[in-house]
Amino acid sequence: MSQHISSAYDRDLEHIQTLVMKMGGMVEAAIMSAAKSLETRDTALAEKVRAADKQIDAIELQINEEAARTIALRAPVSKDLRAILTVLRIAASLERIGDYAKNMAKRTGTLVDMPQIDGSDAALRRMAREVQAMLKDMLDAYLRRDVKLAEDVRQRDHEVDQMYNALFREFLTFMMEDPRNITTCMHLHFMAKNVERMGDLVTNMAEQVIYLVTGEMPEEARQKGDKTSFITDLDESK
Amino acid sequence: MKDNTMTNPKISAKGVQVHYGDTHAIKDVNVEIADKTVTAFIGPSGCGKSTFLRCINRMNDTIDICRVTGDIRIDGEDIYDAKVDPVQLRAKVGMVFQKPNPFPKSIYDNVAYGPKIHGLARNKAELDEIVEKSLRKAALWNEAKDRLQAPGTGLSGGQQQRLCIARAIATAPEILLMDEPCSALDPIATAQVEELIDELQKSFSVVIVTHSMQQAARVSQKTAFFHLGNLVEFDDTDKIFTNPEDPRTESYISGRIG
Repeated sequence: MSQHISSAYDRDLEHIQTLVMKMGGMVEAAIMSAAKSLETRDTALAEKVRAADKQIDAIELQINEEAARTIALRAPVSKDLRAILTVLRIAASLERIGDYAKNMAKRTGTLVDMPQIDGSDAALRRMAREVQAMLKDMLDAYLRRDVKLAEDVRQRDHEVDQMYNALFREFLTFMMEDPRNITTCMHLHFMAKNVERMGDLVTNMAEQVIYLVTGEMPEEARQKGDKTSFITDLDESK
Repeated sequence: MKDNTMTNPKISAKGVQVHYGDTHAIKDVNVEIADKTVTAFIGPSGCGKSTFLRCINRMNDTIDICRVTGDIRIDGEDIYDAKVDPVQLRAKVGMVFQKPNPFPKSIYDNVAYGPKIHGLARNKAELDEIVEKSLRKAALWNEAKDRLQAPGTGLSGGQQQRLCIARAIATAPEILLMDEPCSALDPIATAQVEELIDELQKSFSVVIVTHSMQQAARVSQKTAFFHLGNLVEFDDTDKIFTNPEDPRTESYISGRIG
């Protein structure tokens, strides 16, 4: 896209984009740290995730203010307008993901004193890594205005959903085996659900990138992988 | 460019070319404009939008070196046909210019001039009625009714422009052409004229040339983007300002180079 005649306009848009990328980087780190702190029972790291969320929130506020200012002063149209609308929605989604990571970190603080459930911490971390990779690619797609990559991210949410389904069943099994696992499994399940929701939010952002470039929201349905709403008990779910 | 042909267009132009001496000002423009809508012509200076506008009421005839070819029809009738009287045509296709240009006469006479020469009123009472109706339509009646004999040039800029609009609509035209009607007006007067345009489109087909993209977005349902004598894109105003097809349109409306 060529430059604006007013170079200050270009600088404004670039500045907002830089803030989004910075916020995205912080949220990526929050996801990975939240999962890692659970696996390594690292309460100090969990505490860092909780503290960093305040900074993420502050950047969202800054993005909202800059976007409002640009709308008021520059009256953006067409691609420029879509760029601003996209930024607002991406910032809101990133903020939500930050909240989910913070919630995971809180639960880590609770879980350190409880028995570990075999393999579930590592499975959660794998799921978190997948979401973090999706987020990274989504941010790249945003920066490069790359519809193909955004579409790829959108389709990958299916994998996250399947990981969540598998964990959901695993937790059910552990709880049925020994009721003393219930508290731990409940916390772990909320964490898995958090990561699954993060995946949905990344998917929404990827769709927003497609809208930014093409002017239209993708219509083609993607696979929905979260089947847990229909699981009654383990026998049926097999 | 997207096909915008329609059934029963008010104005239809096919293969219109305009030359000023050696300059090729309009290059093969094809467009159809519906009745009772506002159509905005936008584009950088010298793109041909005003030249094309002036083809619609044959204002270009008054310029010796200007040559118009192609086919322009209003309600299916060729306006460049030898039988058409340009003076009659201009009563049917009114025009408002960039700078308010009231005649150096009273407010009343400014509005009464057209109906008088076209014989639209049989007596004084009828003429009075046309003047009042036109001034009301132009949203100037309340400000002007107590000083109809005062000179039109004594009004403020915004009032003068509305007087010119009243003058243009006094001959009961079917089409109103406006060539940057607000560029000499302050924001309040501009808003009043825009409100007026919104009202006028119930009765006429309005075609407005404007340099203000925001104005085009505010007042029109259709927008045509001209560039270097070409009609680059013609579509719903919503579409032009949210997701135009042509990169040249995108660059222009978003204030970019290129």
